[in-house]
This record gives sequence, structure tokens and C-alpha cells, in this order.
Amino acid sequence: MTLAELTSRAAAAAPNPSTKLAIRDVTKIYRRGGKELTVLENFSLDIAELEFLVLLGPSGCGKSTLLRIIDGIETCNIGQVILDGKDVTNTTGDGRGMVFQSFELFPWRTVLANVAFGLEVNGVGKAERLAIAQEYVDLVGLSGFENSYPHELSGGMQQRVGIARALAIKPSVLLMDEPYGALDVQTRDLLQDELLNIWEKQRKTVIFVTHSIEEALYLADRIVVMTPRPGRIEQIIDVPFPRPRRDTLKSTPEFLEMRRSIWSTLRKGAHV
Amino acid sequence: MSDKLRRIVFGSLGFGIVLLIWEIAGRKLGNALFAPPSAVALEYVDLIRQGDMLRQLTGSLQQMVVGFGAACIIGMPLGVAMGRSRVADAVARPWVSMFVVTSTATLVPLFILILGTGFALRVTIVFLSSVWYIALTAYNGARGVSPMQIAVARSFGAGVLQTFWKVTLPAIYPYLLTGARIGLVHAIRAMVLAEMFVIIGYGGLIHRAGLQIDTAPTLALLITLMIVSLLLNGLLGLAGRLLAPWYEQQRVTT
Repeated sequence: MTLAELTSRAAAAAPNPSTKLAIRDVTKIYRRGGKELTVLENFSLDIAELEFLVLLGPSGCGKSTLLRIIDGIETCNIGQVILDGKDVTNTTGDGRGMVFQSFELFPWRTVLANVAFGLEVNGVGKAERLAIAQEYVDLVGLSGFENSYPHELSGGMQQRVGIARALAIKPSVLLMDEPYGALDVQTRDLLQDELLNIWEKQRKTVIFVTHSIEEALYLADRIVVMTPRPGRIEQIIDVPFPRPRRDTLKSTPEFLEMRRSIWSTLRKGAHV
Repeated sequence: MSDKLRRIVFGSLGFGIVLLIWEIAGRKLGNALFAPPSAVALEYVDLIRQGDMLRQLTGSLQQMVVGFGAACIIGMPLGVAMGRSRVADAVARPWVSMFVVTSTATLVPLFILILGTGFALRVTIVFLSSVWYIALTAYNGARGVSPMQIAVARSFGAGVLQTFWKVTLPAIYPYLLTGARIGLVHAIRAMVLAEMFVIIGYGGLIHRAGLQIDTAPTLALLITLMIVSLLLNGLLGLAGRLLAPWYEQQRVTT
């Protein structure tokens, strides 16, 4: 299998019926002290229904900024974000659930109240939202920790809460911003498997940002490799590995070969 | 446990040493200059039996609470507004910064002219001496609210008001509590100060005791004031821990 066979160039064509989320010509320019920094320029991408898409690239390539623009907590200067056919550019909510790199749990809320937060601000009644939150606390394997406060939990457990909080609103698209970037390798591997398990049970459209090639290959249906200044698509890779995937996949020759070839692509980009 | 025991042992040891030095110094200097603890203890029993000390103290504290309560009600929203709004910051903070460094004692004569020597004066002085500390501490807390936590609230579709009540305010809460505790200390000091000017209440009691040849009553009154200050401060801390169990624990573990 050569890389060329696995690669297809980005094409911002007219939206096709299976498109869940469309990013259209998004440009993001930061202005600081009279200087302009173009983070994203005319960025377009279509994400299919129930697709697990990974945005992969070095720091500064704009992948996190893109995710924040999709979520709406960051605004773009030009362009559109279209979710389920609805223009959601520069707004938040509307079925987007976000998991943050540094967890960002509310320290004054218990695990259960943290998970219920999204439902609470969307006006779901107390009994109902706590019941739903409990469901998701159980789903991420934190039964028994409902009444703990975040500081009493390990990093891995805190991020499980972060994932439960995003899932509890039954998001139309799940956005994950380097969710395991702050965790140690073992915890990271464990949580990747847990995420895949949850995803097999409750299929969802996921956009996952990471700088780890291995993580991208293990999780993704499709990897968008990005290069910096301004952030643009270097290549799009269809990941051929069948599901459900197991940890042993990471040491197969096919996996290692793809990992190596993506690495050489990224390294080339780094020299530019 | 042994750590706790050690603290108690060394704590009482330090206490004992100071009492001993005080006793020796007091006996050398005599009651007129510096009454020793033994004399103060006898005087203390006497003062409690007379009942005037505790009666005046209760009366003064009630007025202090009114002034301090008003300072919290005004100071906390003021500080939060300064911390969250550039306009409020520009308008109010120069004044707050000026008043916080102003000695309350210099204001008392001025306010005696305006308000007389009664309830209004004492409440005003207590208010003016504590409100700035409460406001500035709240201001620092409000400025320090993590933009990421605000972003989380927005990400989940929370509106401006929801974000304020459910994220900004709980994040500031520890600062409001600290501000209240700092403010309380200043409020009690100001209470005594104002009363010493107009010779009324507990401060009046201290003032009159200071004119006597014997220093034992003055020292006894001071000790009561210290105990009450510490007690009220501890109570406020306890209330905070009960209202926000996550805060103290978090400080201990991180």
C-alpha cells in the first residue's frame, strides 16, 4: 500500500447529502499590536455523518483554532460553519459538545453536577438532568464518584468527566481538543480504548484534534494532516484499519508503515 | 496526629513563654505602667462580674455588624463590577485605591461634624474602613476568573446571565470570603477607633480605662477584643468552608 493510494486531496465541492458538517472558506486572522497573523486561510472541509475525523498537525497549525471556530467559542473573520444544513457560524450550542485539553471542569461542582452542566444551562429540569448525568457517569466508568469534587480525581478520571459532560447533551457532533494531551502515556492509551468502546456503542460524528500520529491512526476513519502558517490541509488520509480496533493494532507492520509515512510528511512541512 | 500534638505542645509552650516574660516585666514595672497577667486575670474576673464589659461589647458589635454588612453588600458587587467591566474599573477603581490607603482616624473628626456622635457615625466609620478591602479583594478575584471556564460555559450554550451566575460568581466566591474576613478585621478596629473618639461603647470603655492609674483593666479589655476578633474571623472561615467544601480541600491538596 503506498501513501498515494491512501491519499486524496481536499476538494471543497458542493455539499453532498451525507455531509454532517461543512466548513466553508474559513479564515482566521489574529491582530495583536498592529501585527496580523493568519492562522487559517480559506479553509474548507466536509465531515460525513458518523465519521471519526482527526485533525493532525504540529502546534501552531491552527487545528485547535479550527475546532474552537467549529464550536463557536472562537469567531472566524470570513467563512461559514454549517451543521446539519444550518449555518452555525460564530454561535455556540446547537448540538456541539466540546471536550477540552485541560479538562476545564468546574471545581465547585461535584462530578454529577459537572456532567449535568450542559443540560442545566439548556433548561432541562433537575430530576431529568441528574438522571441523564448519572447515565453518562456510569458510561465513562465513574460510578461511585458522583459526589466527588474534581480535585479529588486523577487527571484521567477528570477527563472522563469532561467526556461525560460533552456526551450528556447528546451532541450532534463531538469536538475533542487534544483531550489526552495532558495525560501520561498509559492513561492516554486506556482512554483511547474507552473512547473507541463508547463510540462503537453510541456512534457519533467526532472531530478529534491531536498532534500524535499514533493516536490519529488508531482512532480515525479519516485523518486531515495540517501544516502551519497559515493552517492548511497538507493531505487527507483514509485509515483502512477495520473496526473494532484493539491495542495490538499499534504494533502491526501496516500501522507502523503508515505512521512512518505520515511522520515524513509532517517533517517535510516542518522544514518549510 | 503526632503533627497535631506537636502543634499543640509547641503552641502552648510559646504562649507560656510570652506569659512568663510578661509576668516578670509586669512585676518589675508595676500595675501603673504594665500590669502583669496575674493582675489582669483578677481584673478580668471583676470586669465580667460587673457586666459592663460584655454589655458594651455586645452593643458595639451590633453596630459594627450593621456597618460591616453594608460594606459587604456594597463592596462585593462594586469589586466584581470593577473586575468584569472596563467602564466600572475606570470610573470606580481610582477612588477605591485612594480610599483604601486613607487612614480612617483622619476621617472621624470630619464625620463627627456631619453625623454627630451616635449610631450613624459608628456605622459610617466601620463601613468606610472595611468596604475598600472587600471591594479590592473581590476585584482581584473577578479579574482572575479563567477565560477558559467562561468559554466552557459559552460552549455549552450558556447565556451571559447564566455564565455569570453559574461560572463567574462561584469562581470569585473564595475571594469574596477572603475579602469579608479582611474587611471584618478592619471593621472591628474601626469600631473601637470611632468609639474612642466619642467615648462611647466598648471603645469608650477602653478610653476611660486608659485614663486610670492601673493598666490592668485596659489590658483586660484588649484581650477580650482580641478573642472576639479571632472568634468572629474563625466563624466566617467556618461558614465559608461549609458553603464551599471544595475550596479549602482544593487548597490543601494542590
